[in-house]
Amino acid sequence: MSAVIEIEGLRKTFHSLRSGRRVAVDGFDLLVEAGQVHGFLGPNGSGKTTTLRALLGLVRADSGRMTVLGEPSPELLPRVAGQVGAIVESPQFFGNFTGYRTLRLLARAGGVPVSRVDEVLDLVGLDDRGDERVKGYSLGMKQRLAVASALLKDPRLLILDEPANGLDPAGIREMRDLMRSLAANGVTVLVSSHILGEIQLICDHVTIISRGRRVATGRVDEVLAGHDRHELLVRVAEPERAVELLHAAELTAVVDGGALVVSGVSDPTVVSRVLGEQGLWVGELTPLRPDLESVFLELTGAYEHSSVPRQVGDSSLPQGEAVIDLDRGVDA
Amino acid sequence: MNLVRAELERLSARRFVQLMVVLLVLAFAVTAATTLAGSHKPNADEMSSARAQAAEARRDLEATHQECLARQSGTLPADTDRYFPSDCSEIDPIRQDRLPIPADYLPGVFNFAEQAQPLLYFLIAFLVLFGFLVGASYIGADLTSGGVVNLLLWRPRRLTVLAAKLGTLLGAVLVLALLASVVYLATFWVIGQAAGLPGRLDGDFWRSLGAVHGRGLVLVLLASALGFAIATLGRHTSAALGALAAYAVVWELGARLVLEIVDARKSDLFMLSSHIGAWLNGGARFYDEQLCRGSTDFPYCEGFYTVTWLPALLVLLAITGGLTAAAFAVFRRRDLI
Ligand SMILES: Nc1ncnc2c1ncn2[C@@H]1O[C@H](COP(=O)(O)OP(=O)(O)O)[C@@H](O)[C@H]1O
Ligand SMILES: [Mg+2]
Repeated sequence: MSAVIEIEGLRKTFHSLRSGRRVAVDGFDLLVEAGQVHGFLGPNGSGKTTTLRALLGLVRADSGRMTVLGEPSPELLPRVAGQVGAIVESPQFFGNFTGYRTLRLLARAGGVPVSRVDEVLDLVGLDDRGDERVKGYSLGMKQRLAVASALLKDPRLLILDEPANGLDPAGIREMRDLMRSLAANGVTVLVSSHILGEIQLICDHVTIISRGRRVATGRVDEVLAGHDRHELLVRVAEPERAVELLHAAELTAVVDGGALVVSGVSDPTVVSRVLGEQGLWVGELTPLRPDLESVFLELTGAYEHSSVPRQVGDSSLPQGEAVIDLDRGVDA
Repeated sequence: MNLVRAELERLSARRFVQLMVVLLVLAFAVTAATTLAGSHKPNADEMSSARAQAAEARRDLEATHQECLARQSGTLPADTDRYFPSDCSEIDPIRQDRLPIPADYLPGVFNFAEQAQPLLYFLIAFLVLFGFLVGASYIGADLTSGGVVNLLLWRPRRLTVLAAKLGTLLGAVLVLALLASVVYLATFWVIGQAAGLPGRLDGDFWRSLGAVHGRGLVLVLLASALGFAIATLGRHTSAALGALAAYAVVWELGARLVLEIVDARKSDLFMLSSHIGAWLNGGARFYDEQLCRGSTDFPYCEGFYTVTWLPALLVLLAITGGLTAAAFAVFRRRDLI
């Protein structure tokens, strides 16, 4: 597999009079290979947008090496720009233009046939709203228009910064399907997000960033497997007595809410046998697989600081539509 | 080329540009309509009376001059009632810039030859303001709204993108200014022909009008580039407006006062407005009483100095060129957020 995006040791510091020096990206590495749908996950303010801006030549990195489709960026970015569709932070469009006219203008500026405009409007589901003014669009419609603009070039590499922002659940699902079909057609996709469930659903690979640094990377299932602590959720009639029995059997167990969490067991039958032998019948026995959210919280250090105590049973998110804003947790 | 076409579409779709064009057309229509309403074609009686009055005025001038000379040479006794300059050549009709002509005695008659130049100055002043504001808002709005970032994601060549914008701006402003001035002058020419007097439209007239026109267009382009450059440097439309207001208050008013207090020599040379005037008029004369201080030819020292059009143009070009170059240099390296 060939690298489509490579970032090594990217560093970017912002200087401003009001807040002084702020290290936004601090020695960050990223590798995206051809054909991946790569999630770029991190809480708000962790440096995702800054990384993408540096990659696309919009801000100057302090140091680091970057390539896009094999060309060093930003120096030789113009060579491959025609094959890279990108949106960085919700782009602002000219409110007076219709969606169609907005795209036609970009198509012209980039030397793309104007017939492509109708195709991309169709792809993002704005087909019959294209002749309305952008200022009348909802946030989600603007986001779709932004994605459409990135697709205009029929890119080999698609870079989307928080594309699901402002989309309704159905919109997120459509976006997911769109990205899957793009990936199936050989487009490499890099999607940034602070929305965990979304990344878990769309992406096959993930890189997690926290405070400007990479804290995990790899296939989504591998990143999850690396954090599997082999815990079991057990429901029985008398949790306290069950804990004592399990301790006697040299297992680690704690009461959590109305249930037990048993850790360090690779074989669940051990638990049901130990309890069953003493007449305690197990009502529920569920392996606690880590989802991306808990891995993410663990890696980005948001978990400990979270002001809302999380219960074990709540750990898995309602699939698909979960939107968790981790900003508060991280900054607290 | 594609880039320029796209930029042209953006430029013409800007509400602000449309508003300014409407204002231009409106100001133009109002001026033309009031001129037309207040003018009529003079009849034969009016003409002959005006001719007679002009001839008499010229005779008066000549008579006064002769009287002055006569008193100076002592042929006539000094008259206390009337004032005569010590140097009679000052009122010599031959040395006057312009002599009374019949048109001066035709109230309510529009005379194209007489009015064309002031009308053109008004149009140029409007177009200079138009160019500056449009130049500033065109790039300023694009920088703040992220339009430039959008474009750079498509064409990651900053200097090309900025140059396409500036080029499109200057081209569009030039075409608009040319069009506006031609339509404007043609309209008033028609008014002169149909409901007034065309006046003396000889080669000299057209040459001097053409010169003002050409220099005015250069000024309009310089103002547009200046607005564009300052807004680029300051990242906002308001940067250009602020710079303009600050310059006018701090420098043209404040510094002028200070320069007067400290008795600086030829202080007008430090003012951009002097150079603008000198360029537009083909030269300008300024007064500085200090030039005469300690001067040996005292009684004859008039205290005037001139700025010719070439140094004035060089000053304007240097300032605009310098700021534009700075804008490109800064834009090439800046973080675009
Ligand atoms: N223009 C800027 N000036 C100063 N600080 C900035 C600027 N842009 C971003 N930052 C800071 O850099 C950090 C990373 O921001 P960003 O890349 O936008 O995060 P994300 O996209 O992951 O939410 C934040 O702490 C933010 O405050
Ligand atoms: Mg961001």
